[in-house]
Amino acid sequence: MRSPFAYTPRRLPLQSASPAAAVAYLGALVVVAFVYSSPLVLAATGAAAVVAGLLAGARTAVRAGVRMGLSLALLIVVVNALVVSRGETVLARLGDWPLLGEVDVTAEAIVAGLSIGLRAAVVMVAAAVYSACVDPDRVLRALRPLAGRSALTATLVSRLVPVAAADAGRLRDAARLRGPGAAKAGWPPLLRRLLAGSFDRAVDVAATLELRGYALERPRRRKREELRPLGGRKPFEVRSRFDRRFYLVALAVLAAAIAGKALGADDFHTYPSIELALGPAALALSALLFASGLAPLRRKPPRRTPVPLFLSGNSHRKGTAEGVGGQPHRPQPPRGPAAAPTLGVPGA
Amino acid sequence: MPDLVTRRAAPALAVEALTYRYPTAAGDALADVSLEIAPGELALLAGRSASGKSTLLKAACGLVPHFHGGTISGSVEVAGIDALATGPGELASAVGYVAQDPETQVVSTTVSAEIGLPLEMRGDSPSTRARAVEEVALALAIPHLLDRTVDTLSGGELQRVSLAAALVTRPQLVLLDEPTSQLDPVAGDELIWLLRRLNEEWGVSILLAEHRLERCLAAADRVIAMASAGIAFDGPPRDFLTWAQQADPPLETPAARLFSLAGITPLPVGVRAARASLVSAEPLEAGGLTPSERLVLLRQQNLGRPPTPHRSKLREEGVRPPAPQVLTSRSLWIELPRPDALHDVLRGIDLTVRSGERVALMGRNGAGKSTLLRAAAGLIETVAGKVEVPRGIALLTQNPSDYLVRERVGDELPGEQGEAALRVVGLEHAVDADPRDLSGGERQRLALAIALAGQMEGERLPGLVALDEPTRGMDRARKGDLVSLIGALAERGAGVVVATHDVEFAAEFAERVVLLGDGVVVADGPAAEILSGGWYFATEVARVLDLPGVVTPEQGAAVLTERGS
Repeated sequence: MRSPFAYTPRRLPLQSASPAAAVAYLGALVVVAFVYSSPLVLAATGAAAVVAGLLAGARTAVRAGVRMGLSLALLIVVVNALVVSRGETVLARLGDWPLLGEVDVTAEAIVAGLSIGLRAAVVMVAAAVYSACVDPDRVLRALRPLAGRSALTATLVSRLVPVAAADAGRLRDAARLRGPGAAKAGWPPLLRRLLAGSFDRAVDVAATLELRGYALERPRRRKREELRPLGGRKPFEVRSRFDRRFYLVALAVLAAAIAGKALGADDFHTYPSIELALGPAALALSALLFASGLAPLRRKPPRRTPVPLFLSGNSHRKGTAEGVGGQPHRPQPPRGPAAAPTLGVPGA
Repeated sequence: MPDLVTRRAAPALAVEALTYRYPTAAGDALADVSLEIAPGELALLAGRSASGKSTLLKAACGLVPHFHGGTISGSVEVAGIDALATGPGELASAVGYVAQDPETQVVSTTVSAEIGLPLEMRGDSPSTRARAVEEVALALAIPHLLDRTVDTLSGGELQRVSLAAALVTRPQLVLLDEPTSQLDPVAGDELIWLLRRLNEEWGVSILLAEHRLERCLAAADRVIAMASAGIAFDGPPRDFLTWAQQADPPLETPAARLFSLAGITPLPVGVRAARASLVSAEPLEAGGLTPSERLVLLRQQNLGRPPTPHRSKLREEGVRPPAPQVLTSRSLWIELPRPDALHDVLRGIDLTVRSGERVALMGRNGAGKSTLLRAAAGLIETVAGKVEVPRGIALLTQNPSDYLVRERVGDELPGEQGEAALRVVGLEHAVDADPRDLSGGERQRLALAIALAGQMEGERLPGLVALDEPTRGMDRARKGDLVSLIGALAERGAGVVVATHDVEFAAEFAERVVLLGDGVVVADGPAAEILSGGWYFATEVARVLDLPGVVTPEQGAAVLTERGS
C-alpha cells in the first residue's frame, strides 16, 4: 500500500517549482504557525496550507495530514484541559485525580490547548503537502554539493522507510496467514524479523549505490563547470516559471507576519481570561494568509476559438507562411461568435 | 585506467583462474573459473541454484570482493580494467548490472532521477544527463515512465528502469541475474528481444544468468553452464543441449527434451529451429511417416474434433462423482487504491474450485491473480460479490521467508499439530534446524507447513491450498519437487490453486488453467487445451507442434512416435 504522503509527480505549479521555491513558500506558512498564537491567524494559515495542497492535487495527503493534525490537536486540548487548571471560567470540577491532583477544566485551558493544537495541525498539513508535492530527488540533489554524507544518509532513509513499511505489511499478512497450530508470530519475533529484513534491504541499497558510483570522488573540474555558464550558455536545467511567484508569496507572507506582529495582530491571551484581537490588522493578516494558499493555482489556458475544418493541418499555425502542400496561406475567417465551425472544402 | 581505444579492443570480460569464498562460508563459491566474453557477444549463464552464477556476475561488476569481502585469487578484467583493483563505482562506466529483484536495486524516488543517478555520480553535466536519460528511455521504450515514481511501477516496468540505469553510462558489458524470473511470458519475451536488439544495434556484450532457458537460448550466441562453483560447459547453444542431455538433463529445454525423447536430431535451440528440424527430419521408423507428415495428419484429424471436455463437465455428465467445492467466488469485485484513485483489480469474478483439483491461475502482471488469492484468504475486503472457502485455506504468499520469524523449526511448529504439518511437507527430520539454514525449497515447504498447521483434522488438509508465484528463482529440479508436493496435496483431498507465470511449470502440475486478464476470467479449461491454444500462454512444445492438447515433451514425443495413440 502506498503512503498517502508519498510524492506524486504532477505538472502543476507547486510540483514544477524548484525545491527552494517550494520550501520557501511552505516554510513561510510554518514560520507563521510558530510565530503566532492567535487561533484566527492559525486557522487562516491552516486553511492556506489545505487550499495549497488541494490546488496542487495532493488531496489524499491533505486529508491524511488534516486527520492526523486534528487528532493531535484534540489530544493536546484534552491533555491541556486536564493538566492546566488556570483560568477564570471553570467548566467542570473533576475532583482529585491520581498524579494530577485537583482537576478543574477551564475554558481558558481548552482555548490555550486549541491554539497549540492548531499550530501542530498547521505544521503537519504543510509537511504533508511538502511530502506529496516536492520531489525528494531534487531536494537531495540540491543538498548533495553542500553535505554529501548527509545526502547519502537521507537517500538511504528516504528509500528504506517506504520499503520497511511494505515489508511490515507483508509480515503482518504472513502472521495473519499462519495456521492455528503454528506458534503465534508475536510482536518481538516480528520486529526482530523486520529489523533483520531492513538490514538486508540496507545492504542491497548500499550495493546499488556502490554500483551507481556513490563512493566516487566527483571531479572538481566538472563540478565547477556545472556551477558556471558553459560557452556563454547556462547549463541545461528545466527552470520553473512559477519559482518567482512562490518566492514573492513567501516574502509577502513573512513581511505581513512581521508587520502584523508590530500592529498587534497576535494580541491573544488565554489566562486569566481569554482576550483575542479581532482588529483590522488581525483580519487583514488572516485574509492575506488565506489568499496565500492560492499560490499554486494554475491559470486556465485562454479559450481558443474553434478553427474551421478546412483550415486544419499546418495552415493555421501561427507565423506559417505556407499552407498545406505549399499552397499560400488561406486567410482566417473573422474570430468571434460569427466564426462558427464550417465544413468548408478547400478551394470551394 | 586504460584509454577508450584500448577498452574497446579488449574483451568485454576476461576471467582467469578465479577462486572466491564468501567471508563466513565453508566452501568456495567460485573455483578456478576462467572465461572470456568477446565484445558484442550475448552469452547465457546456465546452471542449477547455488552453482555460482550470481557470484560470477557480482565478481564481474566489482561487488565481489569490494562490497562482499571474502578471499579471492585469480584475475577479472572488464573491458581492460582490472576489476579486482578497481571498485564497482569506477567500473560502472564499463559494466552495468541488473539484479534478480529490481525492487532492491532502486534508490531514487522518480524514474528519471533513478536512471540519471550513475551519470550524476560520475560528475556529468545536467545537459549530458538529460540527453542520456532521454535516449536510453527511448531505446527501452519507457519515455512515458520518466515522470513516474518508482513505487508505482509494475515488476516489468521496474525491470526496464533498472536496465536503463545500467545502460545509461553506455557500458560495454551488461550483466543480468535472472531478469525474467518475476515477469509474465509477454514481458519476459519482450525483455529478451530487447536485449538482443541492444546487443545487435549497440554492440553491447551481454552476460545473462537465467533458469528459464527456453526463453533465451535462441537469442544467445553462446552458453556457459556452471556446476559446483566451476564451469562445466562453454560453447554454442546447440552443443550445450547435447551436453545437457548427457550431463544435466534438468537443464534441457522442453523442445530439446521433446526431440531427445522422440529420437530426433539435431536438438533445437528454439521454436523456429525445432519447426525447421521437424520439416527436414527423416521418418522415425523405416517406411513410416516423417514427423512433419505425421503432424499434418494429426492436425487434419483434429479439425472438427470437439475440444476435450473439462473435468467439471465430466462430473456434470455423471462420469465422475462431484467433489465438494473448496473455493466459490460469485460476481467478485475488488478495488485497490492507486496513486490517483481507486482501481478495479477484480471485476465480477465467477470461479469454483473443487476438492482434489490442481488449478494454475495465470495472467499478465497485474491481472489480479494475487488479489484473488488474498481475497480468498480474507486479507482484502470485497467491494461486491463474495468469495468463500468453506473448508479453510492455507495461503503461501510470494516470499516464504515472511512466515519464518523464529530460529528453530520446532519453535515455529510446536506440538502434535506442528509435527503433523511438518510430516505433510516432508520436513519432520528438520525439527531442530534453524530455518535460515534450510535450502530455498525447504524454506518454502516449511512456510507452507506453518500455513497448514492446525487446519488439518488428523491428516486431513484444509479445503484449499493456494501458492502465489512459488517458482520464482527456482531451477527445474526444484520445480519437479514442487510438482510432486502439489500432487501429494491434491491426492489428500485439497484443492490446489497456484498463481504462476511459468507456463512450463503449469503444464507439469495443473489439470486446469484459469487465465485472468485485467481482472476478469478470460479462459477457464483443461490445462492441455489452454496451454496449447495461445501465443504467449503456451508451452514451448505446444508452439513447436501446434497440436491441441499437446503441451509437455512427454506428450509430444508420444504423439510423434505414435506411442501414445
